Amino acid sequence: MIGPEFIVRVEDLSYQYPRSASPVLRDINLHIRKGEFLGIVGPTGAGKTTLCLALNGIVPQIHGGRFFGRVTLAGLDTVETPIHRLAQHVAMVFQDPETQLVTNSVEDEVAFPLENLSIPREEIMRRIPWALRAVRLDGKQAKHPSELSGGEKQRLAIAAALAMQPEVLVLDEPTSQLDPQGSHEVFATVHELNSRLGITVVLASHASEELAEHADRLVLLARGELVATDTPARLFSQAQWMEQNALRPPQVVTFFQVLGKRGVRVPTVPVTLAEAIHTYAALRPAIEVRPPLSPPGSEKTLPDGVGSFEGGVSSRERPVALSLQDVAYAYPDGTRALQGVSLSVQRGEYAIIIGQNGAGKTTLVKQCLHLLEPAAGTVMLNGQDVCRLQVSEIAQRVGFVSQNPDNQIFTSSVEAEVAFALRHLGIPKGESQARVEESLLLMGLTLWRKSHPLSLSKGDRARVVTAAVLAMRPDILIFDEPTTGQDYAGARRILGVSQALHRSGKTVLVVTHHLHLMPGYAERAVIMGKGLILLDAPLRVAYHADEVLRSTHLLAPQIIRLAQHMQAIEQMQLPIMTPEELAACIRPRPQSPRHPPPGAAAPPVATGGRP
Amino acid sequence: MTWRRIGSVTDSPLARLDFRAKLTLLFVATSLAFLWESPLLTGCLALLILILNLLAHVRASYLSRGLLFLLPFFALLLITHGFWNTSVGHTAIWTAPREWPLVGGSLRLTREGLAYGVMVIFRTLTLIWVTPLTIFTTDLNALTSGLVQLRLPYQIAFTFSATLRFVPLLFEEIQSITQAQRLRGLALERMGLWQRLVVYSRLAVPLILGAMVRSQQIEVALAAKAFSGSPERTYLHQSRLRVSDYVIIALCLALLAGALWLRVTRGIGRFA
Repeated sequence: MIGPEFIVRVEDLSYQYPRSASPVLRDINLHIRKGEFLGIVGPTGAGKTTLCLALNGIVPQIHGGRFFGRVTLAGLDTVETPIHRLAQHVAMVFQDPETQLVTNSVEDEVAFPLENLSIPREEIMRRIPWALRAVRLDGKQAKHPSELSGGEKQRLAIAAALAMQPEVLVLDEPTSQLDPQGSHEVFATVHELNSRLGITVVLASHASEELAEHADRLVLLARGELVATDTPARLFSQAQWMEQNALRPPQVVTFFQVLGKRGVRVPTVPVTLAEAIHTYAALRPAIEVRPPLSPPGSEKTLPDGVGSFEGGVSSRERPVALSLQDVAYAYPDGTRALQGVSLSVQRGEYAIIIGQNGAGKTTLVKQCLHLLEPAAGTVMLNGQDVCRLQVSEIAQRVGFVSQNPDNQIFTSSVEAEVAFALRHLGIPKGESQARVEESLLLMGLTLWRKSHPLSLSKGDRARVVTAAVLAMRPDILIFDEPTTGQDYAGARRILGVSQALHRSGKTVLVVTHHLHLMPGYAERAVIMGKGLILLDAPLRVAYHADEVLRSTHLLAPQIIRLAQHMQAIEQMQLPIMTPEELAACIRPRPQSPRHPPPGAAAPPVATGGRP
Repeated sequence: MTWRRIGSVTDSPLARLDFRAKLTLLFVATSLAFLWESPLLTGCLALLILILNLLAHVRASYLSRGLLFLLPFFALLLITHGFWNTSVGHTAIWTAPREWPLVGGSLRLTREGLAYGVMVIFRTLTLIWVTPLTIFTTDLNALTSGLVQLRLPYQIAFTFSATLRFVPLLFEEIQSITQAQRLRGLALERMGLWQRLVVYSRLAVPLILGAMVRSQQIEVALAAKAFSGSPERTYLHQSRLRVSDYVIIALCLALLAGALWLRVTRGIGRFA
């Protein structure tokens, strides 16, 4: 299989980090063709990042550890060749845009690696505008990186990598912290670099829809082993692999698989939206589409009259837990983060706050916690002005789980961490112990009570922080981007916890970019943009408010975009939120007598390649 | 809090000066602050540095915060020099009444002592304000290349600028951890000094761990950007002295030379 066209060769690679109990990678064999777009998928802890780092020598040259096997890139052994020499052939973009931008201007950021490679100044000056143009950042040379949006920062990191004119571009979860529009921009840019300039791309991500759209081939890693390598169409269609490795296929895959189970003949399961539209057009003569008589799953997603299907607000009012009235706030640098925001959250509601990076979501949450004081307007918590309450008092009523659990861990054992607040709140020892037990049990942490919190995985650390917050028994819980950086199983676990809390009567607010994960959990969506609330509506209505979503850099989940396409063709409303709901609107058209009876002999779903 | 928010790296004539010109300014201002003992001259020097800071758009709040922080120290300076600086103090403006035990009749507040204390305050302010004027108005990369032009090894110059870059990040981290602690019911505002110290000591664990994680992330990011610390590299921004830089350097050096000459020959600048 080895041929001269391979730019990367990974042979029998096994690797163990220092102080790690077991190998992170085991016997990996992988060859990457020149000009290929290779996606790496797999659950958290599968070894995706480590494999990326092994391609440019950072593993093991910086991290140390035990390295077996051989990795060559452009013919250079990545263990023997110094990293700065490898960097002439391979460039890397990391997950966190903040930690990889090391200079003070856009222009300097692109120049920095070139200066290190001793590229002549004239050549650097030629490459800067070229690289910035390639990622659509031209004209922003003089800006400070902190003035860029999340998507722009990541594109700047790509520009800096691109300026090195590498043969291989490695990206490790480059879009996990970006809003959907930022994520779309990054994938589009990388795709263009791959197809136009022929740069080999290796990209690790949980973003199934985007990988299906852009990758030529996917590698599935699990527990450090290479489980499968195949085209996105074939790999995502393997329900067994997806299930076993807790992966989420693109929503259109799930939709057509469910259709297959309902007796609709689907010759080839599509993996992209364009393919899905094409497949749907081909299937039309054989199917009937009917709008749901009542909103599918409405009993689950619109409980207790929080909102109606049509988007009206129920007259059955519950007591208000949290309200903001004409709240305005500007940061010292002049950024107007909130511009007269009014919002009322009823007791027992589950709402999400969505919007582009910088829309004002975090500022709004900070106002509720009295971490910031409004320049105008009032924030009321159970009828009390939060400005008259200490943060510590609010903390007993509003639990906050931030995106980075590591800034919220102060002690050396899980148990002590959960008990941390109780000691300071003067809770008697007996009750404190009972609350700790209850929280540990709820979060499934009883077995790890004596472990150091930092010895656990990031997902588990988030659960420790949640347990610690729950021990204070707050009525309202606010989760800030709880699913960022989590694989599908981890995200579902965290959202499951939020759901259990909601069912126990708590009010839950979730700030998120992951719209596709929220149906079935949240009831209501608050869409923010540029410091304003653009729309406050039941989830089902908000997800179909395409123009509002786009105005704040959000994209409706893939299945909703397919439903909108079908709506236009069929001239009917399909207000669905999940692949299963859309599939429920479709059934095989009754066949004429010369055809076999409907559904009786539906062939198995094929797993063909992309058309 | 970022570097850019304290100073302004591009939008003032002072910011556009070469780092070597600013270093000369720093050197001359520091030398003058020690050369002059006259409250009037040191006062003028401190005022000049303050005006330059404001012209360079260094935030007034940053400068005033430093001043407020030092107020107790300045009060102490005035008291110690006013009462006990016997080498300059002659003219008593207040004497402790004789009936006061131990100090009655002997404790004197002198005009010269007070003036000397004021001079030391101006000297301290000069030294404190000249730092943001030169460092915070300089882009970190310009600072690095300026230091390299002064023949400092690149690795040291880069470490220096990287450390400066790290400081604001560390402050952000401290703020975020303290916030997280308050959100866990910690009422710092109701705590005594000892309890607060215990709480602050707990900052160390997440702070050090966070700093370690961050520094490794930065190390990895730098390695991926071909950074090896080798002096064999090129520079986009070549640190070249322009006419304005030469003028500033010449003016600064002339001022220092003139001040030295006046001090030696005419005694101008001596404490009197």
